[in-house]
Amino acid sequence: MRHKGWLALAGIAVALVALPVIRHAADFPMFYLIFLSGILFWAAQSTSWNILSGYSGYFSFGQGAFFGVGVYTMAVLFGRQGTSWWVAALAAGIASMLLGLAIGTIAFRLRSLRGEIFALLTLAIPFILASVARLSKAIDGGQGIVIPVPEAPSFLSQFQEFVFVASGIVALIALAIAYVMQLTRYGWALFTIRDDEDVAEGLGVPTFLHKMIAIGVTGLIAGISGAVAALQLGFVSVEGTFNLDVPLFVIVMSVLGGRGHWAGPMVGAIYVYTLQNRLASGGFEGWSLIVLGVILVLVMLLAPQGLMAGFRRRPWLTAGVFVVIFLGLWLLGVTSDPVTALAVALGVTAVIAFIPGGRKKGPPSIADDGAPRVHHAPVGDEPAVEMVEGGQPLLVAEDVVKTFGGVRALRGVSMTVHEGELVGLVGPNGSGKTTLVNLMSGAMPPTSGTITLDGTEIVGSRPHRVAHLGIARTYQIPRPFTSLTVRDNVAIAIMFGREPLSLDASRGAAAEYLDLVGLGGRADAFPGEINLHQRQLLEMARAIATRPSLLLLDEALAGLNPVEIDNAVEVVRRIRRSGVSIVLVEHLLRVVNQLATRIVVLDQGLELAEGEPSVVMRDPAVVKAYLGRQADVESD
Amino acid sequence: MIELQAAVSGALNGSLFALMALGLSLAWGFLKVINLAHFAMILLAGYLTFELATSTGLGPITTIVVTAPLMFVVGALIQLGYERFDVSELNSLLISYGLLIITVQVVTNIWTADFQRLPTEINPYSAESVAIGSLRFPVPTLLAAGFAVVLVVAAALVLERTYAGRALQAFGQDREIASAFGIDHRLLGVLLAGAAGASAAIAGMLFPIGGTLTPDLPFEWIGQVFAIVILGGIGNVPGTLYAGLLVGAISGLVAVIWTPSTSPFVVFSLVVLALVFRPRGLFPQKGG
Repeated sequence: MRHKGWLALAGIAVALVALPVIRHAADFPMFYLIFLSGILFWAAQSTSWNILSGYSGYFSFGQGAFFGVGVYTMAVLFGRQGTSWWVAALAAGIASMLLGLAIGTIAFRLRSLRGEIFALLTLAIPFILASVARLSKAIDGGQGIVIPVPEAPSFLSQFQEFVFVASGIVALIALAIAYVMQLTRYGWALFTIRDDEDVAEGLGVPTFLHKMIAIGVTGLIAGISGAVAALQLGFVSVEGTFNLDVPLFVIVMSVLGGRGHWAGPMVGAIYVYTLQNRLASGGFEGWSLIVLGVILVLVMLLAPQGLMAGFRRRPWLTAGVFVVIFLGLWLLGVTSDPVTALAVALGVTAVIAFIPGGRKKGPPSIADDGAPRVHHAPVGDEPAVEMVEGGQPLLVAEDVVKTFGGVRALRGVSMTVHEGELVGLVGPNGSGKTTLVNLMSGAMPPTSGTITLDGTEIVGSRPHRVAHLGIARTYQIPRPFTSLTVRDNVAIAIMFGREPLSLDASRGAAAEYLDLVGLGGRADAFPGEINLHQRQLLEMARAIATRPSLLLLDEALAGLNPVEIDNAVEVVRRIRRSGVSIVLVEHLLRVVNQLATRIVVLDQGLELAEGEPSVVMRDPAVVKAYLGRQADVESD
Repeated sequence: MIELQAAVSGALNGSLFALMALGLSLAWGFLKVINLAHFAMILLAGYLTFELATSTGLGPITTIVVTAPLMFVVGALIQLGYERFDVSELNSLLISYGLLIITVQVVTNIWTADFQRLPTEINPYSAESVAIGSLRFPVPTLLAAGFAVVLVVAAALVLERTYAGRALQAFGQDREIASAFGIDHRLLGVLLAGAAGASAAIAGMLFPIGGTLTPDLPFEWIGQVFAIVILGGIGNVPGTLYAGLLVGAISGLVAVIWTPSTSPFVVFSLVVLALVFRPRGLFPQKGG
């Protein structure tokens, strides 16, 4: 199963090598070679788009910019200055990659609206580049550039064969990169970014780095592919390069084929290119953009998973139908034109793929009654007695202040967590508990003050660095990666943890953490299929899989029923026994009393009290803060 | 002097861009939809104005009697579609991109890709200009600025003063809470999208009065209009107007100080700088 993708790629490669050879023997018309070169070009471009926009969810409307930089680098270096064509092609890839990295440097650093602003930026960039090219005499100057026919290697007798082979190589490289990414951390980092970027960063995924790698690869492939296209065209102009075709085509191809799978954009390229070809030969050129627009809207609304998802549900049926119809129509002479046969076969196959049902895509989930498999240890009301003596200071926060606009959420809080402790962080709503957790996990910087872990300053570090230093957190409302299974949610944390493992090894290691929280039986379920309690346990499993020294539990028990609470309390105890210090933010004082070795009470952004649970809870100031200011407290 | 003329003319042009940005900004801020189809409605309304004025004898401004209600319905229907399929913010970008492409191609098929211009006998405003002191302004520019300022101010007043406006603000801040307090978000959303469509119709009407039409105009607008949306602050109506005036004045000035062709770069660079340093807009609202 693992090597299906490599087999597919090898098959494509063999076909590509065989075709020019067979063509001479079987006397195929040149047209088919041109047709296939077109599909290969679009497969490369749409795969390039998909690596960034499909895998990571950052929609780009700027594929025309990457393509155009490739086209014009080839045109200027080879066409005007006579550099050798393959040097120009490499330079085209690098120039386009640099453009991508420049865009990423600006857009990927933004704190909010990153996805939206990235998309809008990429809408504008091709138009800016087009006017640069049009105005600059050194580039185009509005006249267009003629590109001579390159000197092809001697074994390729004709120019079209050279274009075919070059397009094929670029497409194969693009597909191989997309496939390898899907199997490795480079793709999985992007999948987590697509699902929830902030959570991914908090689990140790260096999100900025991986987005930059993705946009760099996207630019590199698109640039080289654009350079080959420039050779084929022989003449390039600003209007012909920076138009709407490239961004629209790659988006429609990827959406139609399926954005989550490496082969999706290639499948989409075959469909869209064949459709375009038939529309053009039928005299419907004016309709082709309308048809593409309609396909885009309908697929986005009705089948956003795309064709690949359907093919994978019914692999044999769709493949069989395709082969039978294609060969039947062509060989039986119903149509003399194989492209028409191809178009009909593709159309019928698509209908089958879009019919719901068939084999379930994900691995089957183990049915159970929804109850977590935890060995219930009776949890009485006995106070926590496991005081740890002499623990070293682990986390030290000093005089931490955080303001939002005019609101002062934290007004100078100092707090120390020692090794082995379980500190209960309590306080009324709005007292600053979650803000403090956000600061300690590096999700946001404090306005002033310092926070150190084991003596290392964490203020100013990005959250993934803080995660690698040894702080993990959970969210009040669970935020699992919804497109990954429970097991893979945990595997991600191991894969990008302090001692990173490969995908396979991480999946194996995930079992240990799932068992610790009692989710072992639900490893193959998707987060949408498990209940709130189980999602909260998943949050904990994912957090401890980063192997933290300090775990921040932000209201990890909110919204649970009493049985589930007892179960969660037991899980927290087990985590602590495994050697993790814990800060527990919690409203339920019963839980805090059971678990905490020490309590810190916040009120209105200041520390109100601190000490042993039994003592702190009798402090009149604490009781007053909890019962409300106007309540005249008669204590107990 | 020429700089003053350029800056003021630029600001007046910028107000028309603010009018285009208004509907987008409101839909993004309150409905969480980035509606590229807004540009499609502006384009379509422009061509309908051209068609109605040349074939029925309606005055070009009078055509909004037809186009504004029509675009209200179109905008409302698109919003109903987004609601029905529960479209997310980023997906609305891709879907409305599809709608925009369809519209551009339909317009090309009907009216060709060539320039279309209203004949002077139908468009009495095209050749006129008004002198204010030593400055001169073409009437179409003043008309556009007038409509834009009136509509933007009206929108700001509706949002501030009316129940529906305040309900929308509540909805923009927290959908679920607002719904819990009995705000019919569906109806409000559809009304807002309809109103945005009507504003698109008015912006569209101003293009054939001021100049020529081509089907690929939306792609020339997109960069500058979104720059204004973001600089003004998403959902911030007065901010949108200020940003429009500012961007217009700067690009007018740059065009006379250097060359007209440099102004897109300067504006674009300013937008990039603004994005990096003020991603929430130049004119943050209270509490923001």
